[in-house]
Amino acid sequence: MNAHPDGGRSGNALGAGDIPQMNWDQTGPEMKMVRDALFRHVGKPVRRKEDHRLLTGKGRFTDDFLLEGQTYAAIVRSEHPHARIISISADAALAAPGVLEVLTGADMVQDGIGPLAHNPLPSTKFDMKLCAPGGGIPFVGEHHALAIDKVRHVGEAVAVVVAETPGQAADAAELVEVEYEALPHVVDSAQAAAQGAPVIWDEVPGNVFVESSFGDWDATERAFATAAHTVEADFHVSRVTAVTIEPRAAVAQYDPETGRYELFAGSGGAVKHKGELARCFGIDANRIRVHSYDVGGNFGARNRVYPEFALVMWAARRTGRPVKFTATRSEAFLTDYQGRDLRTKVALALDADGKFLAMRADNLSNVGAFCVSLSPLSKGAGLITGSYDIPVAALRARAVFTNTMCTQAYRSSGRPEVTYAIERLVELAARKLGVDPLELRRKNLVHPEQMPYRNAVGQYYDSGEYEQNMDRALELFDWDGFAARKDEASQRGKLLGRGFANYVESSIGSPKERAEIEVFDDGRIEVVIGTQPSGQGHETSFAQVVADMLQVPVERVFIIIGDTDVVSVGGGSHSGRSMRHAGTVMAMASAELLALARGHAAEMLETAADELAYADGVFHQRGTNRSVSLQDLAARLADPLRVVTDNEMHTPVFPNGAAICEVEIDPNTFHVAITRYVSVDDVGRCINPMIVHGQTHGGIAQGVGQAMWELCAIDHDSGQPIAGSFMDYGMPRTDNMPFFISEIAEVISPTNPLGVKAGGEGGTTPALATVTLAVLDALAGMGVEDIAMPLTPQAVWQAVQDAANTQAKK
Amino acid sequence: MQEVTLRVNGEDYTRKVEGRTLLAQFLRDQLRLTGTHIGCDTTQCGACTVLMDGRAVKSCTILAAAADGAEVQTIEGVAEGERLNFVQQAFHEHHALQCGFCTPGMVMAATDIIRRHEGVLDEMTVRRELEGNLCRCTGYHNIIKAVLAAAEVYRRSKAPAQATAN
Ligand code: FES
Ligand code: FES
Repeated sequence: MNAHPDGGRSGNALGAGDIPQMNWDQTGPEMKMVRDALFRHVGKPVRRKEDHRLLTGKGRFTDDFLLEGQTYAAIVRSEHPHARIISISADAALAAPGVLEVLTGADMVQDGIGPLAHNPLPSTKFDMKLCAPGGGIPFVGEHHALAIDKVRHVGEAVAVVVAETPGQAADAAELVEVEYEALPHVVDSAQAAAQGAPVIWDEVPGNVFVESSFGDWDATERAFATAAHTVEADFHVSRVTAVTIEPRAAVAQYDPETGRYELFAGSGGAVKHKGELARCFGIDANRIRVHSYDVGGNFGARNRVYPEFALVMWAARRTGRPVKFTATRSEAFLTDYQGRDLRTKVALALDADGKFLAMRADNLSNVGAFCVSLSPLSKGAGLITGSYDIPVAALRARAVFTNTMCTQAYRSSGRPEVTYAIERLVELAARKLGVDPLELRRKNLVHPEQMPYRNAVGQYYDSGEYEQNMDRALELFDWDGFAARKDEASQRGKLLGRGFANYVESSIGSPKERAEIEVFDDGRIEVVIGTQPSGQGHETSFAQVVADMLQVPVERVFIIIGDTDVVSVGGGSHSGRSMRHAGTVMAMASAELLALARGHAAEMLETAADELAYADGVFHQRGTNRSVSLQDLAARLADPLRVVTDNEMHTPVFPNGAAICEVEIDPNTFHVAITRYVSVDDVGRCINPMIVHGQTHGGIAQGVGQAMWELCAIDHDSGQPIAGSFMDYGMPRTDNMPFFISEIAEVISPTNPLGVKAGGEGGTTPALATVTLAVLDALAGMGVEDIAMPLTPQAVWQAVQDAANTQAKK
Repeated sequence: MQEVTLRVNGEDYTRKVEGRTLLAQFLRDQLRLTGTHIGCDTTQCGACTVLMDGRAVKSCTILAAAADGAEVQTIEGVAEGERLNFVQQAFHEHHALQCGFCTPGMVMAATDIIRRHEGVLDEMTVRRELEGNLCRCTGYHNIIKAVLAAAEVYRRSKAPAQATAN
């Protein structure tokens, strides 16, 4: 890799002074009390409030809603990766039974509906800032709900058919005739970035629309020039998709009298979607009400608005009837926002003792046909050096358009990619130097005394005890017992391998959150909050937090989410932000509520506020038997006992940990079985360990899934996606997953009053690396040095053949 | 259109259906029993699993017309009033659900497995037999634990009085 042409530097220029060193106890007596009270429910595996409805079939998922007079939409999709639309004929479809409307991109333009307002550039103070090549704001491409003049990926929506029944809509969609003029296409990021590639957007002749550099290029250059050792590698972290088991869906209605749209669509944040859809329709946000209740999985894919959300709203207005769209699984495979697809060239310079001196990285993100999100590229950019103390680094981060479905943040956006790169690179370095890879890691880890630690690209790691995570993981794994297990396996003719990885990740996310807390006269406490769970159990863990702070039973606290007429502000759930942001604002709101209640209680008891002690939901006047509870106050006050608290918090946190995978390979069938998996995760303060472990398990499965089976395969010649169903997209299943050994480490973060980091993505982040390294370890005796994901039997067989051929040639 | 009569969760329903209507669609759209979920179109996710004449079936694989006369149990018919049954309770205790979308199918499939094996189950058997039900959230860890725990409850409840008496 060559130095960046201008040798320049861009991106973050934050000084240590920008990192607030908070002393939360100084934020007022109520906050101190709230923090002191924190530990009654918090930290306990309280069973979930949401389970009962979900276990009895009473969940409210999007497709469960049936609106009066509901009709159904089916989408006509492009079969070309890249083509100009010559004409669309809807006559036959319109004449088909039950059809009410057929709409195209031209109609959409006529009705003044604009592109989806994705806002793809990460923009909080601590995000790695990305710019266009040569500087400036990148051109991101207009993502219209229906293609207007040309299609840029297979599956892009071209027309929408509305009919009385889903069957009639699907039948009629087949009758819509679209004439295309096929254009040359490109699906691979490296090919798209190369000279002479087909151009996807006329505005970006070379397809590369983001190019930023970070770190200290000159210092890195110098370090590499004089280093005793250097290693380099070139990886492609493959494209996968979220596969939420609930396919995406949306149903909308329009009220011509009030001019209001009502949309039911499960997502990662109804408030955000409301705002973005208002921009798309060019209307005031209060003309849209979005409902998002039970959501059958998100993992990032549902954080962004889908074209069909706008289409059902628009079609509902046009037809005067509610319109529903529910994706089939094939449509989900084709057009759910996908994940990863990063090419990364990395290099590491070491001194003679194995101390890391410098790192280079050249990252290229495949965003697909439109830029929906640059989060993966940006997140990964900040963490290229992983858990290691690498004094200087030089990074070039680029993003490129291709004729593929758009990518978006997918579980642990951007972090598994760079963790995979650094951990594999460290392993290569250990091999080159002939040292124990674990010792090499230990020698270079960031140590607790260095916290907060500024890494070579300018991110500040808040806290963590990385070596302790390592030790604990090794112990839980029984690392020392491996040799005996390997012997035993080899007696059965099997190859055993183990793969270790450290990881650190960042949780930044949308900075604003609001909490409203109201106490009712029946003792019920309602908390309105703008995060959006999809299985993370917020109704339970958030209730635990508020119950602790207000010192009331958790059964009395109810979390209200998902209706934008009730929830007015909220950043949604992404980037592991929910507990930290919601927890903080709920702590502040609890403190405010107690302060307000104390004033009222003092008035009511005719005493001074500081004469009151508060415990178990009751204010007592000291030295008397006079008292009043929150519930009494709510019953006796004329006005509601209610507070609304806003908070804005930019400081990121850095969850971290270590994980180890053991695999057993059958040398006859090349089948790989996961036999052991250990994960140690520092999530900061853990509110509900049962929920956090559950998040870890699911996270591991998603990471292992990508390493082992999952792949959004695309045929380069035809541009056709070839994984369109569960028959051709390998999934983690009960019979290919082991039990996991997970442990939570709680190094309290100084950046927020609860000390929360984040749980939920740590299972995924190191897993691509651990599984791959385990397979390479098992195959080391056969001379295999590299293998690309997914590690299917065929891939393993191929790697073994290639290694044998290489050795034969030597 | 064809008329069918099904006994669902103990009640008889007679409805007209199109020839192509799947049992899963019939339950959801015509009977409004939306606890039965649809997660795929190739009979591979198991979200739609119900018990038909006592056996677990993927209701997206069966035409409503072909189910005429059958007795069907869906997730809505499992609890006794507000009280979760032993499988549901085990799922709750063991945190075997996150988003809950796969859950109805998991509970119905697990019920069938537990009954067929009379509650005598080990990890590998559960893993093998539940392989047709996909979950994206849990990594299956807690689902397997819950099914094993429910099987144990079932086995005890069926054990001869003598065996439990001492
Ligand atoms: S919906 Fe029946 S198996 Fe997927
Ligand atoms: S709990 Fe979400 S798919 Fe199983």
